[in-house]
Amino acid sequence: MISAYPTPPNDRPVPTPPPKPAASDRIIPVIYVTLTIVALVWSLSGMDISWGRIATRSQQATVYFRQMFLETDWSYLPKTLKGLQESFQIAALGTFLAAILAIPFGALAARNLSRLPVLPAFGKFFLNFIRAFPELILAIAFIKAIGPGAFAGVLAIGLHSIGMMGKLYAERIESVDKNAIEALSAAGASPLEIFRHAILPEVLPDFLSFALFRLDINIRAATVLGIVGAGGVGTLLELQRRGNNWRTIGTIFICIVITVIIVDFISAKLRAKLT
Amino acid sequence: MSNATTAVNSSLVTFENVSKTFPNGHRALKNVSLTFAPGEFIAVVGLSGAGKSTLIRCVNRLVMPTEGRILVNGKDITGMGEGELRTVRARIGMIFQNYNLVRRSSVLRNVLAGRLAHLPTWRTLTGMFPAADMELAFRSLERVGIPEKAYQRADTLSGGQQQRVAIARALTQQPHILLADEPVASLDPPTAHQVMRDLKNLSREENLLTLVNLHFIDMAQEYADRVIGLRAGEVVFDGPGAGMTEADFEAIYNRRIRPDDLRGALDIVGESTGEASALAR
Repeated sequence: MISAYPTPPNDRPVPTPPPKPAASDRIIPVIYVTLTIVALVWSLSGMDISWGRIATRSQQATVYFRQMFLETDWSYLPKTLKGLQESFQIAALGTFLAAILAIPFGALAARNLSRLPVLPAFGKFFLNFIRAFPELILAIAFIKAIGPGAFAGVLAIGLHSIGMMGKLYAERIESVDKNAIEALSAAGASPLEIFRHAILPEVLPDFLSFALFRLDINIRAATVLGIVGAGGVGTLLELQRRGNNWRTIGTIFICIVITVIIVDFISAKLRAKLT
Repeated sequence: MSNATTAVNSSLVTFENVSKTFPNGHRALKNVSLTFAPGEFIAVVGLSGAGKSTLIRCVNRLVMPTEGRILVNGKDITGMGEGELRTVRARIGMIFQNYNLVRRSSVLRNVLAGRLAHLPTWRTLTGMFPAADMELAFRSLERVGIPEKAYQRADTLSGGQQQRVAIARALTQQPHILLADEPVASLDPPTAHQVMRDLKNLSREENLLTLVNLHFIDMAQEYADRVIGLRAGEVVFDGPGAGMTEADFEAIYNRRIRPDDLRGALDIVGESTGEASALAR
């Protein structure tokens, strides 16, 4: 056998291994594993799983699945596409709104832009607070505030996305190249000019990439918003679910999945071009 | 100083008993008093940590001195507000070891950054610069010999070319002072000499007071009208560069001269790179 490495001489004394960590340190992983198991058992105890019911239901489910995927009602396609179009419009508008509005919020939350540490702390708290509300909760709130429809969906998606994108923007701004900022500052540029001419050119391609990724997520979100009445293809889904029309639900389901896959693909391609 | 009376009249930058103590307690400058005249080409030498960078950065207040006064054009910049300081900085060009360009922006955009302090903020925020400023930017690029790179992204250029963009950016400020903080430390010997020659020529043509941090003693001897030697934050040498001996440098460094204190390779400039200094006429 040919080896690239010469065999080391074996006549050296075996090195003494370092002392083992104390028993108190070795017990820590055991505690974590135990806690995880306890949490799992506790969660399962809240499930009330009835295996008999699952068995009978799953027989029924095969009927529904057959109706959805083998007896799909393609006459419902035009309506579905119209709904999907609205979902896309909701997602696009909401993402656009958030992509722009997240810039000032992201700049506010970035630690390297302000001399007062209170401002980024406040900005971060505000973004965390917005993010804490799921889109569906926001949609229900906006429906109460401005009435049901697509615009409530736009606002729900937009607001939630500001929280998400603002955080990403802030982190990107925090990792910006300090050298260029120093140079512009030395040339007498004002803080706004430094943001415009040193920071924005560097971060904008990444901001755009974040926005495309967010659009991808928001299209998924916009397909279910209709279930609570915030427009889009979800409205149709909810309507057909109430009527137990599994053949049309199949149409909607297949169209949503295909749309999401296509958008996913395009968004990934575009983002790859941005770096 | 022996020529104190003439220096006061023609002084562009004056350090009066300047000290700088950093928050961590490090005393980078100790009671430094210096006078610089328009058009002087000055090399600041010393070991790393001697306070070279701090000295240069005090001139445009990138570093705020803790004691003393610094006069630029007769005005004390240490007590200035941000707005007034920006108008002073507008006329002080600065070049850095790592070029400090906005890497994703075009060369032209980088050069135009030299106009920011000369134009109202609302105007520059639109990103549309007046025709006169565009012309100035192009002329600066021409002077450093790379006008054809104007629309290329800055990070696609070589190190030497990037440093030229940085020089063009400083030129576009129409400065009367040029600061260069280790401008050649990241460059290979031929390119380093080119950049030093470019700086020297600019200084002459524009009557620019130029302060260059160097740690290569042969370059200081070669290019500087005047050499300032720093050791542990104190000025230990101030005199013409041409007549300096190794003994002078050993006194500044407080140790023997080593081969890595020399940049060398001056004799191969031009032949190895195949391009002559852009500013050499």
